[in-house]
Amino acid sequence: MTSTLTAEPRTAEPLAGPSTWHGSGLGTQILVLTTRSLRAVVRDPRMIIFSLLQPLIMLLLFSQIFSSIANTPDFPRGVNYIDYLMPAILVNTAMQSALQAGVGLINDMKNGVLARFRSLPIRLGSVLVARSLSDLVRTAIQLLVMLLFATVLFGFSPSGGVLGVLAALALALVVGWGLSWAFLAIATWLRNAEVMQMVGFLAMFPLMFASSAYVPVRGLPGWLQAVANVNPLTHAVDAARNLALSHPVGGGALAAIVTSLVIAAVGAVFAVRGFRRPL
Amino acid sequence: MNEPMIEAVDVTKTFGALTALDSVSVTVPRGTVLGLLGHNGAGKTTLVNVLTTMLPPTSGTARVAGLDVVRKAHQVRSRIGLTGQFAAVDEQLSGTDNLVLIARLLGASPREARARAAELMDLFDLADAARRPARTYSGGMRRRLDLAASLVGRPDVIFLDEPTTGLDPTSRLAMWEIVENLVGDGTTVLLTTQYLEEADRLADSITVLSAGRVVASGTAAELKAEVGQRTVTVTLAADAEVPQAMRAMEGAGFQPVHDTERIALTTPVTASRDLAVVVRALDEVGIEAAELALGEPTLDDVYLALAHHSAAA
Repeated sequence: MTSTLTAEPRTAEPLAGPSTWHGSGLGTQILVLTTRSLRAVVRDPRMIIFSLLQPLIMLLLFSQIFSSIANTPDFPRGVNYIDYLMPAILVNTAMQSALQAGVGLINDMKNGVLARFRSLPIRLGSVLVARSLSDLVRTAIQLLVMLLFATVLFGFSPSGGVLGVLAALALALVVGWGLSWAFLAIATWLRNAEVMQMVGFLAMFPLMFASSAYVPVRGLPGWLQAVANVNPLTHAVDAARNLALSHPVGGGALAAIVTSLVIAAVGAVFAVRGFRRPL
Repeated sequence: MNEPMIEAVDVTKTFGALTALDSVSVTVPRGTVLGLLGHNGAGKTTLVNVLTTMLPPTSGTARVAGLDVVRKAHQVRSRIGLTGQFAAVDEQLSGTDNLVLIARLLGASPREARARAAELMDLFDLADAARRPARTYSGGMRRRLDLAASLVGRPDVIFLDEPTTGLDPTSRLAMWEIVENLVGDGTTVLLTTQYLEEADRLADSITVLSAGRVVASGTAAELKAEVGQRTVTVTLAADAEVPQAMRAMEGAGFQPVHDTERIALTTPVTASRDLAVVVRALDEVGIEAAELALGEPTLDDVYLALAHHSAAA
């Protein structure tokens, strides 16, 4: 493409002139930037499809490999393994998505578009909020697709019914959203997508397995039980599971929500600080 | 009308032990172009970053459009446009959507934003590619889109950081025309470049940076006077012709220097028509040059001349 600009002199109007716009409100900034990120997802749905593959494979493998766990004495009576497993898969998928929020931010930094945003009269914090919100929407879509698969193909049908499942989904979203701020914070300091992926994997892989996600905690070896009991993920998964199975939740859901909000708040402080550093 | 739109006073920027800018001062009056000339690592981009509020100076003050770049950073950002060395566009979005996004962030309504985007896409000859994602654009198109993006808000001051580096000659010319049109419209421009030719064509005044310091500033003509301007190099067919050619050129008022390795004579000249004067002088004594070359001064010549001056001083 070697198109050139025409050389004829321009009238004064189009290029320069008195500026009439001096920055948008915070709400507009967040709305416009969130829409931007979501449009990228719509334009390139591979991101959604590929990020669905991993949880789908986990769902397929774990539901087959671990199904005999339902027959062990520690397993809750009268519960199908798929109904036990699915809430944990929801939480796990939301966590993987949270990691993607950080990766997406790093890609934006590389892409050059963040350099543009920095030169505009907008608050940099709104870029971060938009990132976390657009990833929340993306995660919600992912989780709904997962639920559809689980219900149609694997017979997921917990005793909590639609309301219980939606409550578990909402809780998974809150946990994922809170965690996305931790990853956004890490992203603004690391600024390297590969390292970011590795850090995320190293952090989440043991957390997921040293928890109640796939097997009852009482079935774990003693030392692992101790780890699982202090692992916040155990509590998040338990809360989501109890909601889906309409078991008594106790303070579990509230604790998970509060913990997520605290992580979000701390993450946001560090994310904004790290984000201010020059690219 | 000629109040300074960019004013840096003793700006110093250090990164740890490295001094990227050492007490740099520049002033750019409204509606003029300052060419910031220097090699990679001279501090050009750091100065642009300080002036565009991206980096706070370690010491010194800078004002853009009369606003302090540290204390009034937000307001400064609503008055400036920045086009960096790498196109700052969203690769996933179409060209139009990129411009709409920026207009919206600047406070335009959706309708105003679409109108402004269409206007700029048209003006920058990108209308045919308006709906394609920016990642499919060629280098020249990307630069134009990037420049269009920095013009969305009709800024008073534009910073162009090496706007033509890596562009083919056609795209470079197009970029120059855009800059000239901008200045014609009253915009103040700070342009960094490694090319003397570019600064010569576009800039009203030139500041030369080297290792974070201002080593020279003035108009292109003033700088060239220091550099020793252009040169004509005559390559001769045989060594035997050298003394005669030397005398002929000296007789025409030049100061040729003999390059023994190439059987060539090089002399500083003031205008390109001096090339013809040299040829005529040689012709009168019956010498035909094997090769003739007009040498334009380069940034290296500027540096060499400046180093020479400071060594002599």
